[in-house]
Amino acid sequence: MDIEILEMAERKGSFILKDSTPAMANALRRTMLSDIPKMAIDKVEFHLGPIMVDGKEYESVTPLFDEIIAHRLGMVPVPTDYELFSPQSECVCEGEGCPNCTIMYSLNKIGPCTVLSGDMIPLGNSDLKVKDEDIPIVELTDGQAVLIYATAVIGRSRDHVKWQAAFGVGYKYLPKVGIDPDAADDPELLEVIDVCPRKVFEDKDGRLTVVNANACSLCRACERISRGAVTVEGDDRNFLFTYDTDGSLTARQVLDVAAGIIAEEAGGLAEQIEAL
Amino acid sequence: MIIPVRCFTCGKVVGSAYPEYVKRVGMGEEPAKVLDDMGFDRYCCRRMIISHADLIGEIAPLG
Ligand SMILES: [Zn+2]
Ligand SMILES: [Zn+2]
Repeated sequence: MDIEILEMAERKGSFILKDSTPAMANALRRTMLSDIPKMAIDKVEFHLGPIMVDGKEYESVTPLFDEIIAHRLGMVPVPTDYELFSPQSECVCEGEGCPNCTIMYSLNKIGPCTVLSGDMIPLGNSDLKVKDEDIPIVELTDGQAVLIYATAVIGRSRDHVKWQAAFGVGYKYLPKVGIDPDAADDPELLEVIDVCPRKVFEDKDGRLTVVNANACSLCRACERISRGAVTVEGDDRNFLFTYDTDGSLTARQVLDVAAGIIAEEAGGLAEQIEAL
Repeated sequence: MIIPVRCFTCGKVVGSAYPEYVKRVGMGEEPAKVLDDMGFDRYCCRRMIISHADLIGEIAPLG
């Protein structure tokens, strides 16, 4: 089993899983979706009652319920560094909360304004500022204010989607598009170029040529009109993956961690079978 | 009400894109091109942005 990387940007990746099985491909997909540990805000404390700023009294009232604001804060991507933080259950503080397992943010704004995710200030290390600073959290009018303390911890998305690091994870059988070489220069066959919705074919000096087989969606529209000259097949041993991340981890990290988790769990299975 | 932080279906962050989308479309750009340009290629995320009714400004004074 091999992985050939096609694209690996900070927040977007695609690769080919080679010489594998559909079960393995799906295991990798599901691990990437639901098992990658990631930081997200899990506890939010609101100041209730009047908030005094520069001698003016503001009310701790907002147009959204506190629960909705807490939920919105939870969904904001928080940078995740496995070197600095460990899951709370494995931390030296035994789950009480300490600087080794939690990030504290403070959010202090007075209206009128739009409260943005970038207004959350990490207590301590300023590298831990949230990744996306322009997410609107709530809007305040004159006389309204918020004073919030939020705590981020590591979790996994099988417990809540706010801990989901990779999304839009999908794969397809690697398309194999073949053209009968004897028929490739038939002018009638060139109709295939316009029929294909994914622009897989091109006309090169009058010959039908495959230029972008990976874009093929296996719809077989080309097969249907080509009278057997074009063949499309999905290869069930090679898989084309694409996925995004929310910025809390890079695309590369997500793939590395997922591969590590599968190896670890598969290793555990071998041991258990051994013990039987 | 207010733009959701993430796409309901896939989980991509859409909240931060909405103000920019509104601004660019307001300046006369074509909505489809703006969405392509901002990297929203799945239709689940695109519908989050194009179908949003931003009413929070009207609710806010009643808070
Ligand atoms: Zn701790
Ligand atoms: Zn989406």
